[in-house]
Amino acid sequence: MIALALGRFLARTPWSSAMALFGVTLGVISIVSVHLISASISQRLDGLVPVQLAGFSHFLHRSDIASSHYFELRRAWRKGQLEGVTAIAPLIDETTDIEGSAVRVIGVDLFNPALVPEASSKSNSAFDWLGVWVDESLIDKLDLPVNGILDAPPGTLITDIGPAQEILGWPPSRLSFLGVQINDTFQQTIDLLENVMPGFGSGFPSRTPAVALPDGWRLTTIAEQHPARAFGKSVLFNISALGLLALLVAWLLIYQVAVSWLRRLWPVFERLHVLGADWAMLRHYFLVGMIILATVSSVVGIGLGLLLAQWLLKAAMPLENIKLQLDAWVVIKALGSSLSVCILGGLFAFHRAAQKPSSSLPALITLCLLLIAAGYCLLEPATGLAGGFFSIAVLSLASGFTVIPLLRSLRRVSSWIKGPYLARLSLRESIWYPQEVGAALSGLILAVATAIGVGLMVESFRADFAAMLERRLDYDMVAEGDHAALAALEQKIASNSSVNRYQVYRDTEIRIRGLPVSLRVARVDDQEARRYGEFDALTATEVLLSEQAARMLDLDVGSTIKADDSLMSVAGIFSGFGDVQPRVVLDQGNTLAGAASKIESIGVKTSDPQALLSRVRVDFPGLELRLQTEIRRAAMDTFDQTFAITTVLIAIALLVATLSIYIAVTSMRLNRRTGSRLLLTLGVNRVESIGMDFALGIGIGLVALTLAVPLGLLFGWILCNIINPRAFGWTIELQLMGSALLQPVLMGLAAAVFAGLLRGGRAEEGYANVRR
Amino acid sequence: MKIGSGHTLILNGVSKSYSDGDKQVEVLRDLSISIDAGQSIAVTGPSGSGKSTILNLLAGLLTPDAGSIQLSIGQRTINLDSATERERTAVRRQHIGYVYQFFNLVPTLTVFENVCLPARLNKRRELDDHAAALLKRFGLESRFHTYPGVLSGGEQQRIAVARALVMSPPLLLADEPTGNLDAANTEQVTDLLFETARELGVTLVIATHNIEVAARADLQLKLGATD
Repeated sequence: MIALALGRFLARTPWSSAMALFGVTLGVISIVSVHLISASISQRLDGLVPVQLAGFSHFLHRSDIASSHYFELRRAWRKGQLEGVTAIAPLIDETTDIEGSAVRVIGVDLFNPALVPEASSKSNSAFDWLGVWVDESLIDKLDLPVNGILDAPPGTLITDIGPAQEILGWPPSRLSFLGVQINDTFQQTIDLLENVMPGFGSGFPSRTPAVALPDGWRLTTIAEQHPARAFGKSVLFNISALGLLALLVAWLLIYQVAVSWLRRLWPVFERLHVLGADWAMLRHYFLVGMIILATVSSVVGIGLGLLLAQWLLKAAMPLENIKLQLDAWVVIKALGSSLSVCILGGLFAFHRAAQKPSSSLPALITLCLLLIAAGYCLLEPATGLAGGFFSIAVLSLASGFTVIPLLRSLRRVSSWIKGPYLARLSLRESIWYPQEVGAALSGLILAVATAIGVGLMVESFRADFAAMLERRLDYDMVAEGDHAALAALEQKIASNSSVNRYQVYRDTEIRIRGLPVSLRVARVDDQEARRYGEFDALTATEVLLSEQAARMLDLDVGSTIKADDSLMSVAGIFSGFGDVQPRVVLDQGNTLAGAASKIESIGVKTSDPQALLSRVRVDFPGLELRLQTEIRRAAMDTFDQTFAITTVLIAIALLVATLSIYIAVTSMRLNRRTGSRLLLTLGVNRVESIGMDFALGIGIGLVALTLAVPLGLLFGWILCNIINPRAFGWTIELQLMGSALLQPVLMGLAAAVFAGLLRGGRAEEGYANVRR
Repeated sequence: MKIGSGHTLILNGVSKSYSDGDKQVEVLRDLSISIDAGQSIAVTGPSGSGKSTILNLLAGLLTPDAGSIQLSIGQRTINLDSATERERTAVRRQHIGYVYQFFNLVPTLTVFENVCLPARLNKRRELDDHAAALLKRFGLESRFHTYPGVLSGGEQQRIAVARALVMSPPLLLADEPTGNLDAANTEQVTDLLFETARELGVTLVIATHNIEVAARADLQLKLGATD
């Protein structure tokens, strides 16, 4: 009978019941879509590192490494001297030029079955120990037996150690480095959690376990070894962290649904209790209702979340054919989130509705401890990206904790609110019911603060990036492509009178202290040096380092650096926004300049760039030619695309927060139903009533902004000064731009006003009216 | 503004029914009454007999299924049964005071603001002094800036009466105004209602179960139970 009574009650308030269902569904949609997008990107990033290298947790380097070093170390390992190491193998990983194309040659020990490449179905089934596995781009370019075709980035070749040495022209004793597998429980836990939250792992700093290595060896992590992948994973972590925001706001929404639903059911419960139904049984029925709500919402939300993720990825990467699939983890995450929050939120809401006294002291103490931990994470770079985002999460929690006391304080001084009576009434109403709106307000605060923080970071980043482009794009035209064609172009423009200046760039990859670094060689005179900042021409023993390289190698201006037996001093450190790899710039007179022998690009300054472009295009059809304006536009477009997903995630969070506020306002209207009837009796007309809803929305929005603006500014500072340096190795100067601040503020206000103005379900307000 | 002399509130053949699922429940059938200006009338009857429905019809919150309701104010006569929603809202705002059983004070407005609310809705700020005088007269001068949530039931109902009278409306409707009060407060609120209404020349329509309260009215309308 109780179930029947509750069922009929919910059926007679279809709008509110549908809103609860829609609210939880929207929460699940955001959880599923963010997870699927992150998992898809993570998978693509994993594809950057061949399985043969990804299987190792760490790498061992030393100068002039030879196979004898490997066997020596192997002996020590077999004797048990390398504690924690479970596998060790020789590796070759170098880039060489084959028929004018850069080819990445990976040599592995094929006696180890785990390292034999798994080729795609198109591959040749014949196996040759001297053969190679290549990606599709190299099939017809090599005069070597092909064992199979790899699903790998263009220009990848995998073979046994011997053939790899032969391709590179190396002696049989030479190796690149060794791969090792080290048992690390912490890392294994992180890897497991990566399934729940893709990108999670890169939030933690690379750990170098204490292994007693013989002299001369240096241990590097997989992240240090493959900076491009680590860079991508850091981007992913940032996206995932924003996904976590959507998850948190979704949780708050689900809790708000529980509170509002209970609010509507409470008069029925009170009557049933008077008739003899005990509270435990009523709570049980309520929770069953919440579980049904969670289950139905999860099923619908998982399906719609998959569609949203597909649509978002299609919009972000229109040329890619990406097929997303639901895995067990996403189903567990979605169902687990909605069920656990519905059950726990329901229990908590019931507890509060029953007005059982509870002390807030334990929560306050916990919060203080968390704030201390957050402070430590901000100050200590070793806590990595996770530390930075942990501090953001704690600040969000602290702001949520502040909402109800803030509303109570505002209520105490509410008589200060003056103005027209109806507006006065509505504005005060927005702070009058802390329990009803607390959770929803926290969600809105969190969404707006994040929008402000991310907006400030993106705009500051944009300004710094544009300034860097302005400096860096000094040349009117840039030519790239085939080395021989570039060499011929250099000859031609050297004698061209319309060319005011030109610069030849030679790039290569070298290892400094075992870490891969991109090396750029040019004629670094005063003018060229100024492209990187306020620097002077480089001497033969000076280098410029990107901020990333300086951070990774732990170097500062004036430090000395040793590479290939050359000792050089760091003359300056420049911003390398967009660089996925640490970079070193040196003059062509430097002894290390010989490492980069081939021309990669040429920059030209001319009085008529368009005319030059047309001429060069005719003479050198194979070269890729771009004007400065095109490069700038393409760079800014790429910049904006990078943050497209971020914008969508914030929009989802704001949408969820808006719905949450609407549900809270509906709940609040149940409180003021007698007031509504009174106002109707007093002759308040429809226009005035809408005006009151507007004022209520403004009131809620203003309260949200009171906390959201300072919190957003703090988020912006953390993102620019803590997160970015830790994630990408570059610092962004936080700039308080009005546009970045105003847009989220207006969006927050609009969300609250929209929630206040939404008229649906108004007819149901009177239904639960138990008093005249 | 006082209702003019002669028959000023006329209900003629009024019927009203509600639907309850598939069933129609008839609350009022062919009701005809007329009330003079300044008179008081008590509507009595068992629960569900239609007392509140009559008050809601008079306030223009409901419209009759059949019959007419005429309200004469000065030289003007308004047909509430055929007036638009907007017209009825305007009449209610300017000419009708309403007292509920459960006070219905606005929790987010102070006592003084609650009483001033009808005057402010009509943009008559000059009535603030009148509001203050009513509150003083009702013994609430110390409660001006208090929010209603902390007041007793008797105090809240006195504020509700003051609010209903602040515009000196020609018609005052009171729906079980003492239904939620103890004996002492019932007497006090009844005195205030009848005496102030008489002084201001207000026509009072009061729905009540209380025989003593009903006995103080000039007229009584007894409603029977509906099926």
